[in-house]
Amino acid sequence: MAPISIRGLTKEYGNVLAVDNLNLEAVQGEILGFLGLNGAGKTTTIRILLDLLRPNSGNAFLLGHDCQTDGLRARANIGYLPGEMGIYSDLTGREVLDLLAGLNGHVIDKQRRRELQDRLEFPESDLRRRLREYSTGMKRKLGLIQAFQSDPLLLILDEPTEGLDPLMQESFYKLLVDAKQRGRTVFMSSHVLSEVERVCDRIALIRKGELVLLSSVEELRKLAARQVRVFFAEDVPVISVPGSEVIETGPRSWTLKIEGPLAPLLRTIATLPVRDLEIEEAKLEDVILKYYRDGTREIEREIEREIEQ
Amino acid sequence: MRRAALLLVYSLKRIRVLALTAGLLLAAFQLVLIFVAGSIQSSGGFDQLRALLPPFARELLGPSVAAFMSFSGIVCLGYFQLAVMGALIAIAVTLATTPASEVETGFMDLILARPLARHWVITRTIALTTLVSAFLLALMVAGTWTGLRMFAPKGVEWPSATLVNSLAVNLGMLALCWGGVAMAIGAASNRRSVAGGAAGLLALASFLLDYVGRLWQPAQSVAWLSPFRYYNPFDLITGSPLPYKNLVVLGGIAFAGFAAAYVLFARRDISH
Repeated sequence: MAPISIRGLTKEYGNVLAVDNLNLEAVQGEILGFLGLNGAGKTTTIRILLDLLRPNSGNAFLLGHDCQTDGLRARANIGYLPGEMGIYSDLTGREVLDLLAGLNGHVIDKQRRRELQDRLEFPESDLRRRLREYSTGMKRKLGLIQAFQSDPLLLILDEPTEGLDPLMQESFYKLLVDAKQRGRTVFMSSHVLSEVERVCDRIALIRKGELVLLSSVEELRKLAARQVRVFFAEDVPVISVPGSEVIETGPRSWTLKIEGPLAPLLRTIATLPVRDLEIEEAKLEDVILKYYRDGTREIEREIEREIEQ
Repeated sequence: MRRAALLLVYSLKRIRVLALTAGLLLAAFQLVLIFVAGSIQSSGGFDQLRALLPPFARELLGPSVAAFMSFSGIVCLGYFQLAVMGALIAIAVTLATTPASEVETGFMDLILARPLARHWVITRTIALTTLVSAFLLALMVAGTWTGLRMFAPKGVEWPSATLVNSLAVNLGMLALCWGGVAMAIGAASNRRSVAGGAAGLLALASFLLDYVGRLWQPAQSVAWLSPFRYYNPFDLITGSPLPYKNLVVLGGIAFAGFAAAYVLFARRDISH
């Protein structure tokens, strides 16, 4: 049973197609990053999963339960962090946590809450304060505590690190790793590509409501272009290297951008007087940004062609 | 059910200051009114006021004038004075539009992301509106009896308990009726100000319709559309029993509003 299963999901707002025939499945125990530009349909998809929005067609399932027809059971074991924490500002942090834990129907695990407080540096004194006195970062931390406090099987997090300082982001990443190690599934939307690259197992990229990429981070990294600099001991002529893009050439150095395997380059330079070779690590961002910009099936086909070669 | 009760408790907790302040102010208003009525009664002012009224006005207003221009009548004014009616209706409208406010702030996202069915949000809101309206009326009635004990001149006739209770019940049903209308609008709205404003404007238009209908014969044919037509405090003061038809009409409007709220809220998209 997939923790999240989305089948042919479509959502229209009047003439605007927010989500277009989306198919997606999360695997148990993985961290699935859900990427896309503003207005791509990420939040709409998350809101359909929570039955806040009703799709025009298609189905979505959480932990095997249909989000629309069996919503109560679907939401019985999830933790949700919304993009914006809309909470009663006249309640204290503790009251908010108690209320949301109570609405989940779970017994409040004070030890787990205290542990989360410690890890996110959220002291008891802050829990006693009213939310109107909270900063954006404090509200975000409170949001994370409420999402994680019942140790749910599935975590749905919308832009979780927005408003968190770098130290807290680190703590949050550790929370994610812990959750994953305990077999929990995390579905998180994010704009921060470096964060996604670091913590996610797989990436689903949505553009104009359409899923344009679903891949493991490892696979994607293989497809990313690497910058390679070759230094020669003496002057060499410029020779074209299959599968590479020339960025800069000099008499004793070449700078190339290579997508895919390095074998063609190595074959080409094998007979040349190579003094040194510098290979920059592939940046996932480059691939994702390409999808953001073009986002068509063409890119997929292009990459598939390169793999085949 | 337990989750809805928890939500109700938190909602009550949030508005406890508003409810208590409004209740005490309304109760204090009853005390002031009775103090003034006692002063007029002691100085024989009611006879002078009745004598000052021109004959045409006496004819227009009918026998209720005599009943109103008395100690008992002024005490009852606390249940149909415009500011009192306005305050009760405004509070009912504010509470009934709680779901719209929760959608607006995004709190609804957190509530409904839990295993809580949408109908419980509306049930909680109905309970909240009814409980607070009843609490305010109870404080008003308590204020009336406290005021009578403190300030009523000796020998003066007090309004009967039946009369005070009838006024309170009829006024409560009127407030609940507008709560129902506001709840139906609020269940489909993303903004409390829009829902509350629309309900408030409807209430004002209905009040004017009823007012014009009472003074101008041609308007009477449509005045029955106004819920205010079903609250006739002067009839009660002159000794008429509480007309259950009025309660049924007001309760019916409230019930229809609640039912519409359930349907609209269950079907809508929650987006802010």
